[in-house]
Amino acid sequence: MAGLLDVSSMTLQHPTVEEGLMAEEALLDMICQGEGEIGWLAWSPSDRALVMPRRHERLAGFPDARARLEEGGWPIQFRSTGGTPVPQSPAVVNLALAVRCRVGGSAAHLEWGYHRLGAPWCDWLADLGVTSADLGPAPGAYCDGRFNVRVTGRKLVGTAQRWRRVRGCRDMALLVHGAMQVDDTPAALVAVVNAFQVAIDDPQRFQGASHIALRDVLPDLDLETAIPGLLKRLVAEEDIAPA
Amino acid sequence: MMTAITVPEDLWEGDGEGVITAWLVDDGSEVAQGDLVAEVMVEKAQYEIEAPVSGVLTIAKQEDQVVAKGTPIASLEA
Repeated sequence: MAGLLDVSSMTLQHPTVEEGLMAEEALLDMICQGEGEIGWLAWSPSDRALVMPRRHERLAGFPDARARLEEGGWPIQFRSTGGTPVPQSPAVVNLALAVRCRVGGSAAHLEWGYHRLGAPWCDWLADLGVTSADLGPAPGAYCDGRFNVRVTGRKLVGTAQRWRRVRGCRDMALLVHGAMQVDDTPAALVAVVNAFQVAIDDPQRFQGASHIALRDVLPDLDLETAIPGLLKRLVAEEDIAPA
Repeated sequence: MMTAITVPEDLWEGDGEGVITAWLVDDGSEVAQGDLVAEVMVEKAQYEIEAPVSGVLTIAKQEDQVVAKGTPIASLEA
């Protein structure tokens, strides 16, 4: 168990945002303590929050922004992986994978980690008939990076990682996380992030057109039955990073 | 004896730079070997930096500063 969640369950779980984030931390701890070589979670929040790395707390306008977002029904919470603010709500499905990696020297483990999560995600989408899925940037999207899962060039899944040395050896533990918008309009979630941008007086704005929701491409998909297929693909991949 | 804490060469591939996102202990604190002392982010990946030896920490690079692999970011006085 990772708090209230079942680690390595093949079903989609529905904790609060806080419980889900704590379970992901526990997943990484489990690998670091040598209690396993792989673990995973699939969860969709039962509540809402705007989630960001803790360094955003240092922004000058942060206290006021936090109050304003909370008034609007989007309390701010912090996560351990990198990137920038991302809305979490019942319209988002998260997958977290933790693996022990025997890396050394110049192992290309950052890119390996993103492909380890993203490649089976693209394959799963292709199985469902979405053949245009790939990994890449989505300019104009919030929390953009080089390894989003994209559909027709628009961001479906945002990805991020955390790396920690396994206690007492050179192995590394990787937590790689993906957040997929499944419901709501992209504009609705972009508006939450843009509200934060306004509140901290940052002129950058994000575009709904740079995002896509799973419902836009698979309107009849039953997530509760489809997510186990994604988890099976994820777990079936080779677990050890190249040395 | 003084020991440098550097951004390890094997944290990520390529010559890209990271940014110090957090110091987890205060300047002047006493830390033990293996303690997590800092976090560096590159490409939306957070890496934890450990103390290589025990000692008193002197921070050389502040939060939000950009760092390359191999950069000394602090020192430890045993």
